[in-house]
Amino acid sequence: MLLDRPGSAADAIDALLADPALDELVAAHRVLDPLPPRYAAWPSGLDRRLVDALRQRSVDALYVHQAAAFEKARGGHNLVVVTPTASGKTLCYNLPVLDAVARDPSARALYLFPTKALAADQLAELRSLADAAELELKTSTYDGDTPANVRSVVRSAGQVVITNPDMLHAAILPHHTKWFKLFENLRFVVIDELHTYRGLFGSHVANLVRRLRRICRHYGSDPVFICASATIANPRQLAEGLIGAPATLIDDNGAPRGRKHVLIVNPPVVNAELGLRGSALLTGQRLAQRLIRDGVQTILFARSRTSVEVLTTYLREALPAPPGHPSTIHGYRGGYLPNERREIERGLRDGRVRGVVATNALELGIDIGGLDAAISIGYPGTIASTWQQMGRSGRRNGTSLSVLVASSAPIDQFLAAHPDYFFGRSPEHGLINPDNLHLLLDHLKASAFELPVPADERFGLDETATLLDILTEDGFLRPAEGRHYWSHDNFPASSFSLRSAAQENVVIIDTSGTRHRVIGEVDLFAAPLLVHEQAIYIHEGAQFHVDRLDWDERKAYVSPVDVDYYTDADLGVTLKVLDVFDEADAGGRAHGEVMVAWHATLFKKIKFHTHENVGWGPINLPEQQMHTTGAWLVPPDTAVARFDRETLDGALIGLARLARNTAPLLLMCDSRDLGVQAQVQAPFTGRPTLYLYDAVPGGVGLAERLFASSVDLVHACLDAVRDCGCVDGCPSCVGPVVEVGPRGKAACKELLAAMA
Amino acid sequence: MRTLADRLQTVRRPAVAPAHPLADRGERLARWFGARLSQAERGAVVVERSLQLPSDAASALAGHANACYFDTETTGLSTGAGTVIFLAGVGFVSGDTFVARQYLLPDYPHEPALLRGVAAELRRLPRLVTYNGRGFDIPLLSARLTMNGLFSEMATLPVEHDDLLPAARRLWRRPLGGARLAMVETGVLGVRRTSDCPGAEVPDRYFSYLRTGSPDALVEVLDHNLQDIASLALLDAELVRLRGGAWRSAPLLDRRGMAIDLLRHGATQDALELLEGAALTCSEPGEAVVLRRLASRLLVGAGNVERAEQLWRSLTTRASLDAASAWLEIARLRERHRSDLGGALDATRAASRVLDLTFALGRGGGMLALGKLRLQVDARERRLRRWVASAERRAARRAA
Repeated sequence: MLLDRPGSAADAIDALLADPALDELVAAHRVLDPLPPRYAAWPSGLDRRLVDALRQRSVDALYVHQAAAFEKARGGHNLVVVTPTASGKTLCYNLPVLDAVARDPSARALYLFPTKALAADQLAELRSLADAAELELKTSTYDGDTPANVRSVVRSAGQVVITNPDMLHAAILPHHTKWFKLFENLRFVVIDELHTYRGLFGSHVANLVRRLRRICRHYGSDPVFICASATIANPRQLAEGLIGAPATLIDDNGAPRGRKHVLIVNPPVVNAELGLRGSALLTGQRLAQRLIRDGVQTILFARSRTSVEVLTTYLREALPAPPGHPSTIHGYRGGYLPNERREIERGLRDGRVRGVVATNALELGIDIGGLDAAISIGYPGTIASTWQQMGRSGRRNGTSLSVLVASSAPIDQFLAAHPDYFFGRSPEHGLINPDNLHLLLDHLKASAFELPVPADERFGLDETATLLDILTEDGFLRPAEGRHYWSHDNFPASSFSLRSAAQENVVIIDTSGTRHRVIGEVDLFAAPLLVHEQAIYIHEGAQFHVDRLDWDERKAYVSPVDVDYYTDADLGVTLKVLDVFDEADAGGRAHGEVMVAWHATLFKKIKFHTHENVGWGPINLPEQQMHTTGAWLVPPDTAVARFDRETLDGALIGLARLARNTAPLLLMCDSRDLGVQAQVQAPFTGRPTLYLYDAVPGGVGLAERLFASSVDLVHACLDAVRDCGCVDGCPSCVGPVVEVGPRGKAACKELLAAMA
Repeated sequence: MRTLADRLQTVRRPAVAPAHPLADRGERLARWFGARLSQAERGAVVVERSLQLPSDAASALAGHANACYFDTETTGLSTGAGTVIFLAGVGFVSGDTFVARQYLLPDYPHEPALLRGVAAELRRLPRLVTYNGRGFDIPLLSARLTMNGLFSEMATLPVEHDDLLPAARRLWRRPLGGARLAMVETGVLGVRRTSDCPGAEVPDRYFSYLRTGSPDALVEVLDHNLQDIASLALLDAELVRLRGGAWRSAPLLDRRGMAIDLLRHGATQDALELLEGAALTCSEPGEAVVLRRLASRLLVGAGNVERAEQLWRSLTTRASLDAASAWLEIARLRERHRSDLGGALDATRAASRVLDLTFALGRGGGMLALGKLRLQVDARERRLRRWVASAERRAARRAA
């Protein structure tokens, strides 16, 4: 067995950092200095039993942020706690909640976690603290896994109910009469992992909180909201948006930190002409192998489930356990059984497990203690989640190491070339738009089902009465004596999901067997591209031919085939500006409401490997439309005038690609959340225009944010194109020269420079 | 700048034709039905109706004067907070008449009156009888009382609640292909509805009344509800009649289900009689074994192992999977209840032979069933052979 000698891991890390072989790969190296702990006196009001229980666990004092959270929550203030991973955030809400239950057993609390796994983890944590304090706490998770006989007990007797937003939406709020014990006495609502509630999901959850508050008012309670979040740029704004009330920010972290080295590593160039670099996966694996061999407890983050398994296999082969001993290296991902996961988590905490390869399942707040080194293979998509992964390494004292290994993706190469974008800027903003009309109407319906809505009630907008009239006209509500009653036989909460905007999906049905079998779904927006008639739909590696698409019924009938081609549909996208909300630079940048329409008109059959075009066919499907919010940029006329039409075409294609790669960095969003379109002669502006729009009907606020930071966007694009080593364009910057033309890159650079 | 109303036009998805808010129509509705209001201000309409019971039904229901038959019509099928009871019918037997009182909701604000009225009706009699009331009507009634803050009314609901659905399922689901009340009505009670409104249309009828103010669409809903509670009473009487011995002559009955029902009501002798008779006449593969297994358990419990064995023997006359199962059961009886290891081994060997024969004749059904039974038979045979051999060795030692 490896000895966990103090200092040995630090020595090994220092030795690695001093190795000249590593030097060539390091694109950036920063050192974070150690911080001492800062403690606060025990809060005077805190129940003695809890103090004793904490002392038993050798917690002799609270950190300053924990004490502050307790005082504020006790005082009835909503709050949002933002401190790094492993800084004892959980106590910030468990203490006030347990203290309240200790004083008054009828008090109730509701915990919301984004996933079931996290809920299970927190249940264990809460129970162990309550047991240590000898408090009789009735608590349980309430989700799809809760057995029916337990459910009725939880409803009437659960003091702390741990659940997720989807369950609150579809199972708890619509059935609130069965939960009246909870709602009558609800003191605290805890929303952990606040940063995950952004974009569309966050906008839904904000509306869910509005519904929750209505129910609480009905039963006469007014709970305090305690939110906890990983580091983001605007925690207070996000929390206040979500809970619809002022919140106190607690971000004065009192937890100590050891010295930490943060590296960005770029795999070596293997083919200079093509600009090809070595594999990020293998580079990360070699680093991990050396660290684990030298006694450094290491976690690797990989992007996919497959790469987790591949890396685990490689590392186990390279570092075999002595005969008769279990391996000290494990994989960890969704799909593992809960008790397997628990065992690995325990092994990580007590040091038996020396290496673990994980997907971002471990990125959220599951407790594994601090490790010596964390290696992220590929940029995880946002700065905040990169820091979350990096936060997995860090001892209270002693040195730790965090490494980001850049992959060949354009955004990774951009970060490797411009490390200041990673280190220099604050993490992203968590944006939500609770007043998105689509969401508002859906939630108002669900809310009216839960409780009749008085005509003068405000739900999100001041114009709630207008919304109520519309729902009345449309036959969902009935006004009587100043209140609007739900008057329809469907169950509104089941007609939409918190995690998607499209209400409808097209179901894909395999008709080949004796029985028809549903093999998958695609959302309505993607259906014309993927399951038009004669398309080859690929599902888990198997090919299916789409025999018939019943657009009205939302059903695609397919049968398995084995052909040597795939299909690719041509999508025509048009974008029309409907309304300008705000503009600057004499119309050079603006944001507003746009209508995006797309129409798939024909498809090509493309042969595998050779990519020859071996046929085509028409697609006869209606055009689809989406109203959303967009931001747009117009380069100055003086710059535009320098180029001919063809060059301008290429420059704009390059501009669109640059924006697509860099805007998600600024917005903390998935690249799929954002649509990009460049028009050489835009009907609205009459000039070449770059549009970026929310890919969700109604938008979630990305466009407004882009408008506010459009100068940053231009600079980021300019940096990317200026510092790219290629001559005429490559996939990492404006795109290959065959797409942008011979002068495309240069023209794109000039346009950007003129806009900066 | 486009206004909110403009923007709303682009996102709405209309459901049905526009609604027109209407004033309180309690009194008009009551007049229309020739009924009274439960209270002056925001009352529920109470429609009272009596049916003359046919003499046989009247005598069957004579002992049921303490029962209240209850059924609701609602604005939806979920038990969530937005589903409202707009019609609640209670019925009871008084001499040779069946009296029904139907509480109808003139509009949403009248709900507390309806709920109070219904709760008062329910607590008047000690026994509450419903069809799927445990799963639907009573939880929904509790939800409505909670919504309206009427907690004290909830506390006084009757404790004795007979939901007839589980019994009806046991007795008729298989022969009728389902156990919805309408199916049981036509298939068992011989009721024929003259006019009816399909259950799926019920919410829309009420919404249409709310929109137009015209009670026409509700007439059939009230009839439907009245027929439901009347059928509930007839069904209650029919169950009593069957349990009292009429099962012997019932033309349509799941006999296994009836036996279980009899057992649940403590009529063990009747259940045994039914099961033995059913087992001997049953020709359905598999079911013959299930019926015998139930009967055998009762016989063994009563100490009559011999008769249990005979019952199983009657299944062994023709080579089949069931015959092999029967031999296996005989082996089990001999081993456990007679301590006859040799006899058990003989029966197991017989099971094995029958199984071979069944396979050879191609009568086995699926290979899976055959294989599973083969494993059981072989395991038992090996074990019994070992035990018999060691018993013989012990006997030999004693003799020496």
